[in-house]
Amino acid sequence: MALSSGARTNGSGGATVAQRLQKELMDIMMKPTPGITAFPDDENMSRWTATIDGPSSTPYENLVFKLSMEFGPTYPYAPPTVLFKTPIYHPNVDFSGRICLDILKDKWSAVYNIGTVLLSLQSLLGEPNNSSPLNGQAADLWDKDMDEFKRLVLARHKTPEELDAADL
Amino acid sequence: MDHATLVFASVFPVPSLSHTTPTPVATPDLGYTGTGASFGSPHVANNAGTQQRAVRRSLAWSTATRFLSLPRDLNKAPIGTQRPPDVEDALSYLLVGEGTSQDGEEGIADWYANEARLHFANHVRQGLLESWDKDIELSNAWHVLEDTQQVLQQVQDLYSQPFHDHLLPFVQEAAANITIRASTSSDNLEAETVKAAKRKFEMEIHAVFAHSLPANRFSKTLSYMLYDAACKLFRVQVRHDGIVQGETEPIDTKKVRRRMTLLLIGLKGVGLGQDEAQRALAYAMNKLLDTYISSHYLKVDWYSKQSVTAQLRVWIESGFIPLAELVLECLECDPASIPPLQRKQWQEMALARLGRARVEDLFDFVTNWDRSSGAILDLKDYLRLDGAKEYLKGNFSRQVSRRLLHPGATTTYILNVYIFIIRAFHKLEPKGVLLQSVARPIRKYLKEREDTARIIISSLLIDPNDGNSVKTASAGELSFEVASEMAKPFAHAEDADDEASWNDMSWQPPPYDASPEYRKSKVEDVIFFLLTLWDRDDFINELKNIFGDHLLKCQDPEFRKEIRLLELIKIRLGEDKLQACEVMLRDVLESRRINETIRRASDQTQDQPSQTPEILDPKTPRPRRAATSTPLVKPPPGPALSAHILSSFFWPILRDETFRVPAQIESLQRDYDTRFERIKGMRKLRWMNALGESRITLEFDDRTEDFEHLTPWQVSVIYAFQSQPGEEWAGKGKGKAKSEGITRSAEQLEEMLEMDDSLVHQALAFWVGKSVLLEVSPDAYTVIERLDSSTKDSDAAAAAQELAEVQAAQSTTVKSQADLLNERKDVYMSFIIGMLTNQGNLPVMRILMMMRMMVQGGFPFGAEEVKALLTEMEGTGKVVPLGGDVWGIRK
Repeated sequence: MALSSGARTNGSGGATVAQRLQKELMDIMMKPTPGITAFPDDENMSRWTATIDGPSSTPYENLVFKLSMEFGPTYPYAPPTVLFKTPIYHPNVDFSGRICLDILKDKWSAVYNIGTVLLSLQSLLGEPNNSSPLNGQAADLWDKDMDEFKRLVLARHKTPEELDAADL
Repeated sequence: MDHATLVFASVFPVPSLSHTTPTPVATPDLGYTGTGASFGSPHVANNAGTQQRAVRRSLAWSTATRFLSLPRDLNKAPIGTQRPPDVEDALSYLLVGEGTSQDGEEGIADWYANEARLHFANHVRQGLLESWDKDIELSNAWHVLEDTQQVLQQVQDLYSQPFHDHLLPFVQEAAANITIRASTSSDNLEAETVKAAKRKFEMEIHAVFAHSLPANRFSKTLSYMLYDAACKLFRVQVRHDGIVQGETEPIDTKKVRRRMTLLLIGLKGVGLGQDEAQRALAYAMNKLLDTYISSHYLKVDWYSKQSVTAQLRVWIESGFIPLAELVLECLECDPASIPPLQRKQWQEMALARLGRARVEDLFDFVTNWDRSSGAILDLKDYLRLDGAKEYLKGNFSRQVSRRLLHPGATTTYILNVYIFIIRAFHKLEPKGVLLQSVARPIRKYLKEREDTARIIISSLLIDPNDGNSVKTASAGELSFEVASEMAKPFAHAEDADDEASWNDMSWQPPPYDASPEYRKSKVEDVIFFLLTLWDRDDFINELKNIFGDHLLKCQDPEFRKEIRLLELIKIRLGEDKLQACEVMLRDVLESRRINETIRRASDQTQDQPSQTPEILDPKTPRPRRAATSTPLVKPPPGPALSAHILSSFFWPILRDETFRVPAQIESLQRDYDTRFERIKGMRKLRWMNALGESRITLEFDDRTEDFEHLTPWQVSVIYAFQSQPGEEWAGKGKGKAKSEGITRSAEQLEEMLEMDDSLVHQALAFWVGKSVLLEVSPDAYTVIERLDSSTKDSDAAAAAQELAEVQAAQSTTVKSQADLLNERKDVYMSFIIGMLTNQGNLPVMRILMMMRMMVQGGFPFGAEEVKALLTEMEGTGKVVPLGGDVWGIRK
């Protein structure tokens, strides 16, 4: 009988992570933040896809970015692994979508959650940290030639539909 | 005379063939005289011999045929038995002597047969056909057949007589000659030849008779006659066009039997007992079988509830088969007795027909279970035949879908019928395979009905032996069948797996039509079938809701029925799953103790005698919902409060309207809070004011009235008509409920009580219905202090009461699914948006699945609700349907 019970648990650790994530999901749904959504990929909740809108009055205005988030068994004591799935031209993101953001690394704290991470990433789009760039060219252009920067942003960007098409 | 000529002649009469005219006597042709022979010498040369024979034969023929010609008039004297000498010679010559037919010459016997045929065609047939040309009245069948038989018999005698008298002796003589010549000294051959000639003649005559009658009509008439005779013999009442013919006279079966036998033998005698007659017999017996099966002999045995198949067998063996044999014997058929194999086939055929007749009405039998168990037993016998199961399954399924599974049938009715089906089919086939396949559509249909689970569970909760609960229950909503099943002792299947038991000497393989996953359901327990209608978890959720509602409304302080029910369900569903229900039950039980404790404590400290709290106690750190305050507005004894303390984690979502309760109650609640916290550590109570039940006494200027079972909002509303502490209204005294002149509008009340307007209106309607309040002007109410002055408005009161009742019926303590959906719609919608945004376009089923997995607290809805949500979101431009049930975010 025990086997048939609803939640599948991989040890007690998995269960608490799943519970915590489910609660976060509920919170996000109860109080949606405009321009930010996130949703688990499947029932075990450890992988999510998130979508953020580019902030207005930045080069990313009107663009939509998809991210993947992966939560380890120690979440929320360890940060999730977050990657941009949409190609993005940004000083703190490399061409494979890896992100350089302190709160996703050493500055992580268990009080952060999916909502705050996504909100930070959204604001990172408008305010890159040019002092530790992953994309040096982008960091340069941001300071020197905003028009060229915008052109490169648009050139690299793909809409979710294009991404889907590429996956196929 | 060859066949073609005869055929031609039968259509176009050829004079030369018309043998009624004998060959004229003419100058004998003596032939030519041969060379050298003397003219006219009696010693005819060889070559002239043939010619002379022809002449002689012609003469003899002429004489014989003239003699044998049948009289044109039937009434005229037939041919005499005495042969004149010339005829004697002629016949002798033609049949015995040289004149015997050679080389295709026509024999005199053939001629006579032909003569008879023509005679029949020209003189008899017409009269005979008069009665056969039109449809035969059924009532005339006997007479027509008898008349026909008599006419034919007469004619046959007429024809046969000369044949016997004048032809057969010569045939015999000829045969004797041959016998002697062949020196085979056996009389046998002689006799054989005679018989053959006779038979040939008879056959020809019979063929003429048989063909003269319209074959179909004759066969039908005969068949009816046999059927009628059989019906009379077995005293079966026959219906013609649905009208039972009244038996005018008692039937003398012996007479009928003799009449039938005579007629049959007669018919056989004139050659009408051949294939047609046998076919007619087959028809008749076929129809007889049907008639008998639908007759009163094989009616369903409603009284002693026995099977009638044994009777049927006996009848087939001792009634049906002997009758068939008798008829066959009369018709001299071969073989005249029925071989055993065929007897068995007939038995089966009869049983199959009986079975089919029963299957036609199976639905009615099922609904009349168990008075109809006789019919079910009949069917049980029937099921042993080939193809019977399939027939029963198909037919019964059709009946069910036509008569049961339609919107007009109430769920209670369907449940009751389903229970009957379970019982009846268990009797029919204890293995349960048939039941499984028959019940499948019913179960599917029941699952689709929204109220099925509610009715089942509510029905489980009533006690069929308790007249009171039966009375109070609204009949349409409860199935007493379910209740009575629940009351039966539960036969627990001890030996779980006897399929593998080597010692089970009565073991049988599962039926051939069992599905691979077939598992013999040991439990013939109806409740088991009902509880397995759903997924266990779904069922338990529903059970939780209804059980909670029931507990809160329950009047029995011991909760005996509820405890019993829970135990019974635990046995069936397993204990682990029912934890929540157990906690709920324990909550209400424990609340009583806590109430006692708190009341005692407050008695001691406060000396206030009024507390009767019952409260539910929170077990988890989450906020508890304390329900139910029982305030008494009547001040002298002071209001008393008791509470149910519910562990919110385990209870279903309950109604949670907030509003302000009367001040006195509020203070009681606070008091209760503190005492509770003292007893239970730091646990907090959250009062759920909407769930309570109250009793109050209202004092008017001219009367005092007690009210029981009030909802807290009703109390709060009426309390608001009392002057409030801050208000300067006339009537002061605490006990005096209303002072004249306090008039409040619904809006005022909403504001004062912070109450939902629907609740306010509901409460106002209730009080108006009780003639406590009066709507003095639109939306303004005042208290009726003096009843006499306001009785005039009793109509309005009655109407309001009706309204209040309707509203009350709609309010339950547990939130309905629809309420829940409405309330959480926003959350669900943002779930859908989040899902579609991040996961791309998804089909409805996938969305539903994700919702069920992801939404905390579960998503107790189905695809229908998801679709409704999506459609609503489509209206606001958030999502778009992409066809094929797939939805996506609107870009």
